[in-house]
Amino acid sequence: MRLSRRGLLRAGLAGTAATALGGLATGCAVPAGSTGRNMVLWYWSGGLSDTVVEEARARFGRDVDLKAQQIGGYYRSKLITTMAGRAHIPDIAGLKGEDMASYLPNADQFVDLRTLGAGKLKSRYLDWKWQQGVADDGSLVGFPIDVGPVVHYFQPAVFDRAGLPHEPADVSRELDTWEKFFAAGERLKKRVPGSFLLTDVGSVFEMSLGQGTTRFVDRDRHFIGAGEHVRTCWDRAVEAKRRGLVSDIVSGTPDWNSAAERGLLPSQLNASWAAGDLKLGLPKTKGRWRVADCPGGPSNVGGSFLAITKACREPERAFEIITWILDADNQAQGFVDAGLFPSTPASYAMRKLREPDPFFGGQITMDVYGPAAEQIPVAYNSPYDIALGQPVRDEIKNVGVLGKDPAQAWRDAMSKCRRIADHLGVTY
Amino acid sequence: MATVPALDEPPAVTAPAPVVHRRKGVLGHWRLYAAISPFYLLFLCFGLIPVGFSLYLSFHRWDGLGSMEWAGLAQFRYLLGDTDFWSSIGNTLIIWALATIPMIVLAMVTAVMLNSAVRFKNVYRFAYFLPNVTSIVAVAIIFGSVFSTNFGLMNALLQAVGLDQVAWLNTPWGIKVAIATLMTWQWTGYNAIIFLAGLQTIPGDLYEAARIDGAGPVQTFVRVTLPLLRPTLLFVLVVSTVTGLQSFAEPQVLLQTTANESTFSGGPDHAGRTMVLYFFQQTFDNNDFGYGAAVAWGIFLVVVLFSIINWRLVQRRGED
Repeated sequence: MRLSRRGLLRAGLAGTAATALGGLATGCAVPAGSTGRNMVLWYWSGGLSDTVVEEARARFGRDVDLKAQQIGGYYRSKLITTMAGRAHIPDIAGLKGEDMASYLPNADQFVDLRTLGAGKLKSRYLDWKWQQGVADDGSLVGFPIDVGPVVHYFQPAVFDRAGLPHEPADVSRELDTWEKFFAAGERLKKRVPGSFLLTDVGSVFEMSLGQGTTRFVDRDRHFIGAGEHVRTCWDRAVEAKRRGLVSDIVSGTPDWNSAAERGLLPSQLNASWAAGDLKLGLPKTKGRWRVADCPGGPSNVGGSFLAITKACREPERAFEIITWILDADNQAQGFVDAGLFPSTPASYAMRKLREPDPFFGGQITMDVYGPAAEQIPVAYNSPYDIALGQPVRDEIKNVGVLGKDPAQAWRDAMSKCRRIADHLGVTY
Repeated sequence: MATVPALDEPPAVTAPAPVVHRRKGVLGHWRLYAAISPFYLLFLCFGLIPVGFSLYLSFHRWDGLGSMEWAGLAQFRYLLGDTDFWSSIGNTLIIWALATIPMIVLAMVTAVMLNSAVRFKNVYRFAYFLPNVTSIVAVAIIFGSVFSTNFGLMNALLQAVGLDQVAWLNTPWGIKVAIATLMTWQWTGYNAIIFLAGLQTIPGDLYEAARIDGAGPVQTFVRVTLPLLRPTLLFVLVVSTVTGLQSFAEPQVLLQTTANESTFSGGPDHAGRTMVLYFFQQTFDNNDFGYGAAVAWGIFLVVVLFSIINWRLVQRRGED
């Protein structure tokens, strides 16, 4: 058939009309939350155990059709834009730990889990973790998924060569303060040429800060980042640099992998989930790592939450699902499947979490992770912490990497913080 | 030349037409308007409305979820004094210059070589175009390895000629050079194809005339090829300005290190923090959507400025 110009126009017209009508139709039928039996759960790859999610689908399948969707890319921006758009909002949403503080001021967008009886379960979860999900008005927004207790990963063979303690219990006991840890670093550097205790200064600053109970902004929206608690962490990081304990390697690059493989970076302070990265990135080092306590005390990096949005039509059912997914048994499964460290202390004693780990030379790593997770201090995380911590983090990086004068760097960080605080309406 | 008579003819024919046009008006042509409407409807939804909303947003404070708060000109006043924003403009321009100048020279040389290639012409063209359609994220990951300090290809080359290692991704200039190299690699082939198209429009008799007048290959290139390639060169400049001013994924992927850090900080001394990267940091790291919108409009003004410069260049070409 040969199309005439008129025919082509008609076809185009029909197409346009169909598109417009289709758009209109979907526009009218936008579901805000669950419709009927549908229950949509948003999380990210590795955010929950896929086995547990699959079991939950089957278990609650008689009442609801649980649609678990893994959202790729920049998760929080997608969740925020969807919620701001007020359409297709998931009923249950995963919230990442580092973003938690920024969701809390909008607690009214989520269901207060206390109204669904969360209070009765509180004692089964780590208290400091539970507090992170509580908004200023006392409502509970996030229900704990996992936590990220920070430990000291080290290579005993290299520590032994440097004449340092190398049994996990000895390392935990003898390198329990930052001062002893740094002294060990100096010894390591002397005995094992080319080796460094620390990859960068950032980990010292970050873990030190996490060991305290205050951050950059307090509950009254007041900037406290110039205080003694931040200054101590800053000075400690500067000291590590001054004593020559810091490598010039960028963490996460092929250089880092190779240096760690050759035993030139035999120590790493990082969260429980970093064990997965080590196993994946350095398969050849299997059996050459051990886990000990972090110098200076326990802290936390990462870990996330599940929340029920206001768009959910059956909050009771949703709550039943999330509390089942996150009970002690299933959290233990989450650790086995996805390295999600449980926020339920009851899991720590379970047999499948107390298996000797061949990557760590048969060590029962739970003996280190578990006590660390239980002793993490409760801290207040302000929604303004990210913006006001960034200048300090940037400047300590400049000190560590570029050798910038620490006094100048601190002054620059503080003057930038003052400007940002002023802009965000945070008092100084 | 053949189009001139054709242009002269229509007025005679269409002279009585305006009467008809006026009677039918816009509504009379509704079928035509309807036929072209999909583009405008989509543009309205995904272009104009978001642009308008971002302007509205830039006069407010908003964390992305809660209620908006009127801020007046506060966001723009802060933007004017924001040294981070100004330095991000500087970074963008330096990276753009570092990428574009070698890129144009290389693309030109490549195009001249492609033009004189005898065999496998299409194979070469395909091969040179390939970098441009490769995922930028994949490219940036590869370049991260190429520029790594101890085991990178770049440092291996430096050492092979007896130079010292450079900590590319850990020094301000190294970062800029690494990002610029990535962009050069990605765009040289594309622009070589454009130049090639330009070269093929130059009539062969001009070269013949030059040869008869006794011009050597260099003289021919400078006196014949370059002047006639000027429109193509301007097009290439405009396109590379537009892409260069929007560079985002290159520094973001190249400089992201560990999960504990912001991926928008642009490395030590913010050396790789381009304008768009800074916009992302303000908007999505800090949840400051109002200020993010103001930054976006700041970027818009910078792009407008460069568009005007480009336009003036093209205009002058039209006058002489």
